[in-house]
Amino acid sequence: MSLKTFRGGVHPEEKKELSVGKPIEVYLPKGDLVFPLNQHIGKPAKPVVAKGDKVLAGQLIAEADGFVSANIVSSCSGTVKAIEERKLGTGAKATCIVIENDGNFTLQEGIGVEKDPDSLSNDEILAAIKKAGIVGMGGAGFPTNVKLMPKNPDNIEYIIANGCECEPYITCDDELMKKHARQIVIAMKLLMQLFENAAGVIAIEDNKPTAIEAMRGVCAKEKGLSVMPVQTKYPEGGERNLISVVTGRNLKGGQLPAELGCLVCNVASLYAIYRACCLNEPLMDRLVTVSGEGVANPHNMLVKLGTSMAELVEAAGGAAPGKEIKKVLSGGPMMGIPLISLDTPLCKNNNAITVFAEDPVEQAQLQMTACFRCGRCQQACPIGLVPQLMANAAERGDLDYYEKKLYGLDCFQCGSCTFVCPAKRPLMQTFKQAKAAIMAAKRK
Amino acid sequence: MNDKVFNISSNPHVRSKLTTSSVMLGVVVSLLPAALFGIFHFGLRAFLIIAASVITAVLTEFIFDLIAKRPNTVKDGSAVVTGLLLALSLSPSVPLYIPIIGSIFGILFVKCFFGGLGKNFMNPALAARCFLLISFGTAMTTFKVDGVSSATPLADLAAGSTVKLSQIYLGYSNSVIGGSAIALLIGGLLLWVMNGITWEIPTATLVVFSLFIALFGGQGFSVPFILTHICAGGILMGAFFMATDPATSPMTSSGQLVFGAIVGLLAGLFRLFGSSSDSVSYAIILSNLFVPFIDKICIPKPLGYYGGRRNAKNIRIPRQAVNLLVITAVAGFGLAGVYSITKDKIEEQKLQASAASYKEVLPEAENFSYNEDIKAAVDALDGQPYDTAAYGRTFINDVVVGEAADGSVVGYVFDVSSADGFDGTITLALGMQADGTLTGISFTELNETAGMGMRADEPEFKDQFAGKNADQLVLIKSGGASGDNEINSVSGASVTSTAVLNAVNTALAFYAENVQ
Repeated sequence: MSLKTFRGGVHPEEKKELSVGKPIEVYLPKGDLVFPLNQHIGKPAKPVVAKGDKVLAGQLIAEADGFVSANIVSSCSGTVKAIEERKLGTGAKATCIVIENDGNFTLQEGIGVEKDPDSLSNDEILAAIKKAGIVGMGGAGFPTNVKLMPKNPDNIEYIIANGCECEPYITCDDELMKKHARQIVIAMKLLMQLFENAAGVIAIEDNKPTAIEAMRGVCAKEKGLSVMPVQTKYPEGGERNLISVVTGRNLKGGQLPAELGCLVCNVASLYAIYRACCLNEPLMDRLVTVSGEGVANPHNMLVKLGTSMAELVEAAGGAAPGKEIKKVLSGGPMMGIPLISLDTPLCKNNNAITVFAEDPVEQAQLQMTACFRCGRCQQACPIGLVPQLMANAAERGDLDYYEKKLYGLDCFQCGSCTFVCPAKRPLMQTFKQAKAAIMAAKRK
Repeated sequence: MNDKVFNISSNPHVRSKLTTSSVMLGVVVSLLPAALFGIFHFGLRAFLIIAASVITAVLTEFIFDLIAKRPNTVKDGSAVVTGLLLALSLSPSVPLYIPIIGSIFGILFVKCFFGGLGKNFMNPALAARCFLLISFGTAMTTFKVDGVSSATPLADLAAGSTVKLSQIYLGYSNSVIGGSAIALLIGGLLLWVMNGITWEIPTATLVVFSLFIALFGGQGFSVPFILTHICAGGILMGAFFMATDPATSPMTSSGQLVFGAIVGLLAGLFRLFGSSSDSVSYAIILSNLFVPFIDKICIPKPLGYYGGRRNAKNIRIPRQAVNLLVITAVAGFGLAGVYSITKDKIEEQKLQASAASYKEVLPEAENFSYNEDIKAAVDALDGQPYDTAAYGRTFINDVVVGEAADGSVVGYVFDVSSADGFDGTITLALGMQADGTLTGISFTELNETAGMGMRADEPEFKDQFAGKNADQLVLIKSGGASGDNEINSVSGASVTSTAVLNAVNTALAFYAENVQ
């Protein structure tokens, strides 16, 4: 029987073999650690330390400001060097807490004290998650405790663990599932305790057989919890597509999964939930894939949050022999954000650093021709939009048509259309500009 | 390393290997079976036509880019596809200037002047073919193999003769260079497998076309009849390679189904009721005009905006598209209906108008009427040559029964013409008594050279026919005809005389086959 999937999508070269299965390096940072206060969706956190303060690893340094916001803890012990505005690798500016690392990583008292997961009450679980500052670690960065408090908890019927990892190059979720399957399942059970009517589904693309085996082995005895292998196809892990594949329910653009009775949680977030609830460990580190043809030794690393990406690329052997780094992405090649420089800290939602010695976009620009309406973009769109008509409308400035008739704002910028376009049209760029223009007009 | 600025761009940062030229290459590869078969069957001539067409297409685009100071777009390969498609849709006997003029017209006027690749609103190859059909009708519709012109399979089919399906499948019959149905089918499937085309347009086109042929072709759901119509006359090439041209077909799945249906409907309509020798080309370029409209109404609803069926295929044809289809269908079928209803009326009037000239060759008849069987046999010819091999391009226009005042049959009048006169078409009425004895001929159309061919209208030649009674007549060029089946040629006008004889003999053959 063929596995479930959605209509559309693309098959970029996986390139996961570059990093998969290699030993995971536990990397301890040498330089200062930098914590942007806005590394989640919502209001930036409010600093609770001042310049010159001594902090311990795991100590709260900025607290959630308002409902949709998240705590930030220090991942090292040391001294607060500055609280200042810094330019990040994306080019954006953000207020950051800079901590001078003393190199000892002395933990705050109480961290690592084990608790029996069965003894936790619902309130304790939510409090632990909030305290730990957990956010969606697959890329979105939405505060997890907020996600876990929908209006009607009784309506939630599915909790989906997202272990698809459909982006090329990235393997950290794969490694995490192989290594910590039991912990992820415990976290799923904790969430299922919060939502009594919900069934748990762990969705994994079938290019990760070992992870599927590992998760199945742990799930076998668990009631209401199952592993669902899905077809390997980008963007299988996109929220709207994953929900559609797992439950048959289709989200509209802008609709929250909870409105259709679903909750989607990345496996890395689940592992963080386990550590927060059962080990009293706040979110201090995460698995990161440093990969790509531009780096000498691609592999996964367990990295303290706030570590400079420059250090991580150095740790992966720096530029590949005889090559020069041309492009660096925070994330994978399909949806990753390009970085101007590596002088930027690793944040909670950064699952990968992808380093290119050749820029495929640069090459694509040389091959660009006029659009000949082949329609491959429309076949590739995972949510059934017509990118060619959208691009036409955007280029002629008909943004009303773009939004109302072509559902242009539903585009979640997965980039499938642009990936597949034989004429190498910069569709994604056009859509981003159109969206920005529409949003700007709406704010007026 | 930190002082270096890396490249930035919008995601995605990887791209598929597919390029415009690789897509075009795919189309060329899928056309190769048909092209190779054409060259194999028709020889060097076919190769020269293909080469001339492709080279001209590429050169035209190159020169246009140069003059218009536009970036050189030749390397995208679309001009090669246009040139190849045009060549494959031409008869192997066309003079070489035909593909050259066609390619220039298609590339320059239809493609480049509208903005180049992807901006043309009509398929350039087909627009060029239609341009050539209108401008060089004779050259375009003559099919000569080894110097002998003969009827196309469709003409044979219309003439009621059995068409060897296997010949058409293979492309051995007289048709265009890319006329091999099997090669086109292989190429079309190859293109589909390579994702060069989607299934919607070919399927919708062929299904609707077959349905139309079955409903109005007069032979019901006769499989060989429908198959012949599908395999001959370019509908396969049209459905797989022409209608699917991405620039001139709709974007979306539902739109493509509607578009394919319109193409199939128009092709069927033109094939059965049209007067042109080509139906598919006109059907497609007319349908091309609907594309912007279809694109506007056939926009699928994205995920979440339609019924929550799991993995539902997003083929939902919007109401406007259904309306468009219904209007086209009603118009098409309505036209066909009106034609059938008024056909008899029109013929009645035609008959009265012709009665005078008929009376001249069959004076014993009081009035003229149609015999249904004979009429059906004439209609089956569908305006196509009767038997090109035996008589050249001769046509049975009309056959009427002459009746005495008491209603008994006294004879027949055949309205026949030959297109092989020295200066165009010769049309004549041939009178015949019920026992097969000829009563005379009378020219209704004769434009031969004065003093030469025109002398066919003089009694010396014309009166020879009265009283003859033979299966076929023989032309005696040296004079001195004596036998019951011999006719003396007009001296110095053997082309005219032969054409007249062929016309008369066609009538005799028709008489033997359908009347006697």
